[in-house]
Amino acid sequence: MNPTEDEPFYIGYQPQPPVGLRRWLRIVIVALLALAISTALLLAFTFRRLPLSVFEFGVEREYVGVIRAQPYPLLLIKRDDRLEQFWLVGSGKHAADVNAFVGQSVKLRGTLITRDGLRMLEINSSTIKRLNHASAEALPTESLGRFTFVGEIVDSKCYLGVMNPGHTKPHRECAVRCISGGVPPLFLAHDSQGQAIALQLADAQGEPLSKEVLDFVAEPIEITGEVSRQGEWLTLRANPDTYTRK
Amino acid sequence: MSLRYRAISWNPQKRRYDAVMAASSGLYLALFVGVSAFTNPNATIETLLIRAFGTAALLLLHVILLIGPLCRLQPRFLPLLYNRRHLGVTTFVMGLAHGGFALFQFHALGDTNPLVSLLISNRRFDSLANFPFQPLGFIALVILFLMAATSHDFWLKQLSPVMWKRLHMLVYAAYALLIAHVALGVLQAETNPLLAGVLAAGMIVVLTVHLLAAQREHAMDKQPFETGFVAVCALGEIPEKRARVISLNGERIAVFKHDGKLSALSNVCQHQNGPLGEGRIVDGCVTCPWHGYQYLPETGVSPPPFKERVATYRVKLIDGVVYVNPEPVGQDGILSYTPSV
Repeated sequence: MNPTEDEPFYIGYQPQPPVGLRRWLRIVIVALLALAISTALLLAFTFRRLPLSVFEFGVEREYVGVIRAQPYPLLLIKRDDRLEQFWLVGSGKHAADVNAFVGQSVKLRGTLITRDGLRMLEINSSTIKRLNHASAEALPTESLGRFTFVGEIVDSKCYLGVMNPGHTKPHRECAVRCISGGVPPLFLAHDSQGQAIALQLADAQGEPLSKEVLDFVAEPIEITGEVSRQGEWLTLRANPDTYTRK
Repeated sequence: MSLRYRAISWNPQKRRYDAVMAASSGLYLALFVGVSAFTNPNATIETLLIRAFGTAALLLLHVILLIGPLCRLQPRFLPLLYNRRHLGVTTFVMGLAHGGFALFQFHALGDTNPLVSLLISNRRFDSLANFPFQPLGFIALVILFLMAATSHDFWLKQLSPVMWKRLHMLVYAAYALLIAHVALGVLQAETNPLLAGVLAAGMIVVLTVHLLAAQREHAMDKQPFETGFVAVCALGEIPEKRARVISLNGERIAVFKHDGKLSALSNVCQHQNGPLGEGRIVDGCVTCPWHGYQYLPETGVSPPPFKERVATYRVKLIDGVVYVNPEPVGQDGILSYTPSV
């Protein structure tokens, strides 16, 4: 650029900017502050509103019930005449280590995670205490038939409340890590009436799934399988090699 | 200019610059998190912090990228350029906070090293919609780190201005990676088209301002190859204590008029390749408009005890027309004339 007018000349290490630039600099500073404010407000109002999910971080409560594996570890708690069910997971991105307690009445301490009526406890296995009374509580399994769903695999721990949002592509890597660590995979789909529906995933024999589903996490897939109900939860049984990407 | 390296050579204007930068950045973060806590009450604080730091870093990067071409188009923006490296370091710090929170949130406390997990958890390289976007952000952050770590003049000297400039031009690679990081990441989940619109608007502004500046620069360099003395302008076209910039054989030369003399020097400052011809003669020295580096117009050498040097060129004045020989010379690129001519 060649000179066309007598512009004030700015030298940064001088104590003050030239007089002719000061008003301009004030305008630039106001413009930058306005840019920061307007962008922050615009983005804060533009991100989609997230649904309610709860992780009672730092709050541990005592729970008494029976540990089952249907197929993932869960705690059944009898309250009045109802059986309340809580998935059990370990800390971080790990499964709960409860194999030694399956079928037994226990007392344990856990942190509640919950969303849409589905509940989970993050537990430290060292807090589990066997109780000296036998327990026969178990969830009956009701077969609902064969269905096809289109949806997304998420990790149940983040989706139910540890992270929000705990699904869609930005969460994919985290869901992969969680499911790889033993957190139960959950399938988010819609039923024929368009209602959101969450199903825990198992293979065709009803066994737990983990690393077998990692390549399908957080993207649209179609699964056809047998659906059964255990208490409040639905299970979709299908082998991962039958999953198809949409 | 300073003889000794210091972590930061503070001066009043740098302090003001950093105060404005800190106020803007702090205001942005506080507003984003504070307002989001109301508009999105179920979002976790980690999610809000990840979003706040990430968007702040990207916004700052846009400002950084705009400063250079805006200064080419309108020199009044030069005060923004003076301490731009602090903006760059702040951008890296914001990006590091975003990446650090995200790395802990999404990859820590699992069955794999978090950094390994970052690189291997998504292998859908065959799908654009599912393409792994986190490694793109990681590579961009590494580039921003290299730039922040070498932003000090110590590294400029160690690496040489040419290498330093090449390294810092990687900011455009980082910008492209971050646009892809956002487009293939959060925009795959957010449905409001306004978010994509904001990103597109930022890109269009950056691209447009760069194209306008490049067009101006290109027009200046479009000159045939010349030998011997070349007529470059009338004497009256050069204001006193200022220069006219010409392009001869691919080199930009600044012809300064000062105190009855004409001097022709390379237009490229040895510090950060600033345009000397857009500077002034201050205290008898050619003064770079970017950071105030100075050179004696007679010799092209910085005044003692500094040792920087730029090339000088022979100048002639015939019938009020200034001629310059594009062959650089040592220390004799000075021509005296009678100011009344």
